[in-house]
Amino acid sequence: MSTNFYEITYIINPVLEEDQFKETVTQVTSLIEGSGGKIDEMDEWGIQRLEYEMDGKNNGYYVNGYFHAPAAAIEQIERQLRINDNILRYLTLKFDSRMHKHYELKKRGELPTLFEETEEEQED
Amino acid sequence: MINNPSHPKKGHLKSKECRFEKAGFVYIDYKEVETLKRFLNDQGKILPRRVTGTSAKFQRQLSRAVRRARFLGLLPYVAENVR
Repeated sequence: MSTNFYEITYIINPVLEEDQFKETVTQVTSLIEGSGGKIDEMDEWGIQRLEYEMDGKNNGYYVNGYFHAPAAAIEQIERQLRINDNILRYLTLKFDSRMHKHYELKKRGELPTLFEETEEEQED
Repeated sequence: MINNPSHPKKGHLKSKECRFEKAGFVYIDYKEVETLKRFLNDQGKILPRRVTGTSAKFQRQLSRAVRRARFLGLLPYVAENVR
């Protein structure tokens, strides 16, 4: 089956205990793998302040990850994320060619920045 | 005024160029909040192209990135001090 590359970010309820964060992350990871996906990277940002109140909360535990998965799996994954009461919000994005390029640059640590110092290196 | 080289206002006109194109961006990531913040005013609104000089192509990407960041609570819909 052909697979696409996706990026996922979700916010876990910050009121939970430390091991419940781990549990939720494991749940989501196994959910992706269980539906035929392959995790490329899972990065936990930890508790961050939200810029506005979301379901009465001012903080959130952020998790950001990248994975390969067949298109049909996304529907299943999003359904489970929606049902899960511990997840405040999620965002799945399908990668296009531009995002692939961006991701490769990021992995090599060659991301362009808007600041003056690095602009000379971006010339060629 | 544009065609008149001796116009008094001519010296003040800055030729604008897109910062994203100049820096060699391919995609504007919603996770780069610090970059996005430079294109918002203090109310958290997206600055218009005529102010920032961003090309149409990147302005579209920028606004998409800002909307994604707002959805995930990385950027405010309405900034705190205005509310």
